[in-house]
Amino acid sequence: MKILAVDTATSASSVALGEGGQLVAMSVRVDRRGHGGFLVPAIDFAFESAGWKPREIDVIVVDVGPGLFTGIRAGISTAQAIAASVGAPLVTVSSLTALAVRAATGRRRIWPVVDIRRGQYATRPFQPVPGGVAPDGPAEIVTADGLHNLVESDAEDTLLVGDTAGFPPTVMRGLHRAKTGRPRYPSADVLLEIGEFKAERDHFVRPEDVRPLYMREPDAQINWSDFREEGIWPGAAG
Amino acid sequence: MSRPLILGVETSCDETGVAVVRGHEILATVLSSQIDAHARFGGVVPEVAARAHVEAIRPMVHLALRQAGVHSDQLDAVAATRGPGLIGALMVGYSFAKAMAWTLDTPFVGVDHMEGHLFAPRLEHEAFAPPAVVLLASGGHSQIVHVKSWGEYEVLGSTIDDAAGEAFDKIARFMGLGFPGGPAIDKAAEGGDADVVKFPRALRDRPYDFSFSGLKTSVVTYLEKAKAAGSVPPLPDVAAAVQEAIVDVLVDKTFNAVEATGVDRVAGGGGVLANRRLRVRLEEEANRRGIALYLPSPALCTDNGAMIAAAGEFRLERGDVTPWSVDVSSSLRLSDL
Ligand SMILES: [Zn+2]
Repeated sequence: MKILAVDTATSASSVALGEGGQLVAMSVRVDRRGHGGFLVPAIDFAFESAGWKPREIDVIVVDVGPGLFTGIRAGISTAQAIAASVGAPLVTVSSLTALAVRAATGRRRIWPVVDIRRGQYATRPFQPVPGGVAPDGPAEIVTADGLHNLVESDAEDTLLVGDTAGFPPTVMRGLHRAKTGRPRYPSADVLLEIGEFKAERDHFVRPEDVRPLYMREPDAQINWSDFREEGIWPGAAG
Repeated sequence: MSRPLILGVETSCDETGVAVVRGHEILATVLSSQIDAHARFGGVVPEVAARAHVEAIRPMVHLALRQAGVHSDQLDAVAATRGPGLIGALMVGYSFAKAMAWTLDTPFVGVDHMEGHLFAPRLEHEAFAPPAVVLLASGGHSQIVHVKSWGEYEVLGSTIDDAAGEAFDKIARFMGLGFPGGPAIDKAAEGGDADVVKFPRALRDRPYDFSFSGLKTSVVTYLEKAKAAGSVPPLPDVAAAVQEAIVDVLVDKTFNAVEATGVDRVAGGGGVLANRRLRVRLEEEANRRGIALYLPSPALCTDNGAMIAAAGEFRLERGDVTPWSVDVSSSLRLSDL
């Protein structure tokens, strides 16, 4: 099974090709912006290195977030276009799952964290299980204080991974059972592993159901002062 | 030799437009409009637009190809709007189109949105060619462009504050007419007498530039005074007067540019050019001067995929294929092409 994985949900963009559990080619770039300039050249380079043709792809796996909205949409649009053009099925992975899977090396409960800007973090607890991780609670959007409280209330030893480098000092203060660790970003090679696992179990997503995991309403300010309670001519609208 | 078969993708603002075009022939053009999504905000919200595009882009491309009876393998090129526009919105269509072109191993052309508008009149009027003066007016842009030859553009004037469509939106919102404002005012002005009140025409000393924010203020002031005095004129009259003020300025400045450049062809593009009064006035003025006027039909005035395909064909023929590494840009300028 030949798999293409695309991850542009965070500042780190990556694409990878894999087959039979082996990583065949990979390209990574860390840049908050510029996902759109990275993707196709990186995919082109990966296919060139692997000697593959687009039509040979059996499955496409894409990170649907949470994360940077514009990056996620660039990744999904790219994956959708390639999938539609070659008739390959799609598999989706959450950035939080990708982080947790890579972090799972011990017994600590894992809290992957993705900075979704505006002082908010997306997170979800995962429990290490033989061969991987299992979600152990709901995905949530929290502030820095909220994250501190969540982890503090966890009775177990915990490992925070992901966007921990930019934490305000208050997040980890006094959390003696918690530590931070790697990976810092989700990445396409992890998506390959998860994607293969899901594809083998036919966990495909219909193209129309491949949507970004925003976890937050759009920032849209309604300037109500611009609207009159009643028009100058009542009933004029529409 | 038949002309290339091109898929055009437009997602710079609030319309997901996709078309399949061969030369002057539009084999299919489809649009997923987001008017309802933005109406409650009274204007286009960038994040709302981007979210709608990512849901619409795949089905719209699929629909356009199906309506055209074309398989993606038959395409000679894929073109998509690169900018200017809303970055999050541009990213969706541009990424989709670029990845599609890469997969199909076909040339990809990133198109300047404004150049797309310049090419729109040509889709329906084979005779339209430079040199010409083109009025581009929409919710996001207002410019007068001297098209010296295809690919060689001089922006003679532009708005110094609100775009013309934005002025329509803001004033319509104040008048309680809903969104988008242009069509709402166009409709409300039916049968109205524009002479009931004369709103000011700004920037008389700058022959090609526009300013519309003062108009909004004077409409607000006028209506509040009239309401306080209990003498508000009927809605159609006020709507007609507002429309006339905007149209007057657009027509005047366009023909200032015609005189200065000495061209004998005028064209238009952008959503505001769908305004019926503006079309009539441009036509009257062009006829009076014996100048040829090329206005796209309203559906090709507003943002659409066909105009992107048309400009894409020109760029393709010039060999301006866009490298994969080129990203979207919110601030492209016609004069720099
Ligand atoms: Zn436009």
